[in-house]
Amino acid sequence: MKEVIGLVSANYATADMQRLSDERSISSMPFGGRYRLIDFALSNMINSGITAVGLITPYKFRSLLDHIGTGSAWMLDRKKGGLYILPGSTYGMSNKSDRFLLCDMRQNDVYFHRTNADYVLVTSANIVCNMDYNALIEAHMESGADITMVVKKADHKSAYMKRVLLEDGRVSGVKVGVERGETAFMDMFIIKRELLLQFMDWYSAKDYMDLFDVLKKDYLRMNIRTWNYDGYIREIFSVRDYYDANMELLDMDINGAIFNEQMPIRTKVQDCVPAHVYPQARIKNSLISSGCLIRGEVTNSILFRGVTVEEGVVIRDSIIMQSSVIKSGAIIKSAIIDRNNLIGSDMVIKGSADDIYVMLKEQRKARRIG
Amino acid sequence: MSRKKKCIAMLLAGGQGSRLGALTKDIAKPAVSFGGKYRIIDFSLSNCANSGIDTVGVLTQYRPFELNSYVGDGEAWDFSSVDGGVYILPPYETQTGGKWYRGTADAVYRNLDFLRKFNSDYVLILSGDHLYRMDYNEMLKNHIRHNAVATISVMRVDWEEASRFGILSTDENNRITKFAEKPKKPESNLASMGIYIFNKDILIDKLMEDAHNEESSHDFGKDIIPKLLAEDEYVNAYLFEGFWKDVGTIDSYYDTNMQLLLEKPYFSMIDEKFPIMSNSNIYPVQYIGEHAIIDNCIINNGCKVYGRIKNSILGNGCVIKEGAYIEDSLILPDTVIEEDAKIIHAIVGEKTVVEQGAEIGSKGGEIAVIGNHEKVTKAGDKA
Repeated sequence: MKEVIGLVSANYATADMQRLSDERSISSMPFGGRYRLIDFALSNMINSGITAVGLITPYKFRSLLDHIGTGSAWMLDRKKGGLYILPGSTYGMSNKSDRFLLCDMRQNDVYFHRTNADYVLVTSANIVCNMDYNALIEAHMESGADITMVVKKADHKSAYMKRVLLEDGRVSGVKVGVERGETAFMDMFIIKRELLLQFMDWYSAKDYMDLFDVLKKDYLRMNIRTWNYDGYIREIFSVRDYYDANMELLDMDINGAIFNEQMPIRTKVQDCVPAHVYPQARIKNSLISSGCLIRGEVTNSILFRGVTVEEGVVIRDSIIMQSSVIKSGAIIKSAIIDRNNLIGSDMVIKGSADDIYVMLKEQRKARRIG
Repeated sequence: MSRKKKCIAMLLAGGQGSRLGALTKDIAKPAVSFGGKYRIIDFSLSNCANSGIDTVGVLTQYRPFELNSYVGDGEAWDFSSVDGGVYILPPYETQTGGKWYRGTADAVYRNLDFLRKFNSDYVLILSGDHLYRMDYNEMLKNHIRHNAVATISVMRVDWEEASRFGILSTDENNRITKFAEKPKKPESNLASMGIYIFNKDILIDKLMEDAHNEESSHDFGKDIIPKLLAEDEYVNAYLFEGFWKDVGTIDSYYDTNMQLLLEKPYFSMIDEKFPIMSNSNIYPVQYIGEHAIIDNCIINNGCKVYGRIKNSILGNGCVIKEGAYIEDSLILPDTVIEEDAKIIHAIVGEKTVVEQGAEIGSKGGEIAVIGNHEKVTKAGDKA
């Protein structure tokens, strides 16, 4: 049995999160009512039987590390293997193409030396998917490729996703930005551990660059292949990506593909009382997390834990994050309300389908009574 | 000998709770679901955790599998501690044979190893099947202040109900003068809550004496406490003034659950300073469908609601399909109510399937109870 260790890279940011990621990395963005984006990468690792996982931390690591703790929620607090916190470097943060900085790996090379694993499975941390990596691992072993990159035909245009250039079935390069229908790199790949260590050595002079940029001239000298993933997957780089991926969870086919009993997405447990839906409430097509107290109208929306919705409130097409309080008569449409906000009585917050309104956290601090 | 601690706890969780009928057919009473998310044992374990007691022995006997796996190492209640934690204590065999626990006192006696392992002055004896929030520190302080040998937590009950309880009479210092188990003509309305604090050394002595007494039924209420009183030891009563319930019957179990739906429940789960912790599985967020109608309901993690529900509690992971109607009912975790099924004034057990078009219960009638792991078909018979 060949052994695989995991590497999750969370050390990158974009300028398109409209300050939602001012104090947190994209990887620790709250998602889907009770999760954070990092939960997907960590859960997929453990669900695929990978029990040693290195996590390259982002510059703003507080909220991420607060969420992950010892990794016990993912059973990564182990004697053998487990979670390794690998401090990321502090520059090159919001270059559109950076995901896997070579220097982040180089300065943590101990992690790759102190193991006998044959392969390293690398993923970025802003991905929503429920994926069994074993199919990828098997395909990689079978083909004998140096690197196998996970790809998918892009179903929308993106300035951040990378297009994979192919020659005779082999990867000849990557380019930032994809059009719909093009083959997109999903920022996950598997590589022989020895080869990754060699890269760190060979390209040490250019280690401030992303691994796939560094390889530029050498693609065709190596055997780099693609592996097509046909399940549901989303990468989050912008407010638009974030909003759309959340809203897609209201499609129960997608929801069921992401959240199921066999391959559960694990997250930090919080003891939260159940949701209470009072007689005045009207809820349609929405996710309502535990701890919510609902007396108003909620349609096509996602409410995180402990949100209070008073009487006469109308919430549509919106994401309301943890512990926010929406006072009576307020109207919220097409908006993202970050944590701990108090929306006053009869206040009106309206974005539109093309222009989602974003309220940063604690603009007016919410204090819940009772 | 471990680090000195003031008080350790032993939690009696071996009871069947036979009056809960179908609900305890395959699980012990402390493992029965409450509020759709909790299990009854959560309350005493959370009370210990919230009172700073970090060492708890859980004595199990009746159908312990669910209970044991639920309690685990106690991590869910923050009992991971260097020299404490939760210990599951089942009956066991010795060189001279093995026996089931013969009574509450016998269960503790058979685990003197546990009591001796930890270096504490006091032992708290609890029952794992009561619903209440209590800071045991207050009771312990009271015990120490009175320099008592044992302290029993008591509460005032309605006089009409007094003959259902162990009733205590006290002097002006709250020293217990008399103890009567379920008296026909109660002299007082101070009822024992089955919560005891003992000085550990004295408890060990008394348990050893009791174990060799062949006439004893080896029960704290029936044997140990009366013996202490007969020997004129100082047994102190600690008056508790809060909500406490032994949900021993289907009616009281149903009522205590359903009061959570009140605008102001008299026993609420919401209390940030004294949270009730639980060890729940991982479920995704509750989804409310396009045509769902919900009128005053409690909905737990992982539920998917497409039908109509009124004045009801849905446990973790329940699915209510389109056209189903539920009223005044308690649906325990992981149960599926299929299309057009109708459930009124009922308790439906865990991991049960109510098939398409099946009907359970009726208004005004007795509470209909369906057990765990059942299948209810349209014809009305359980498979």
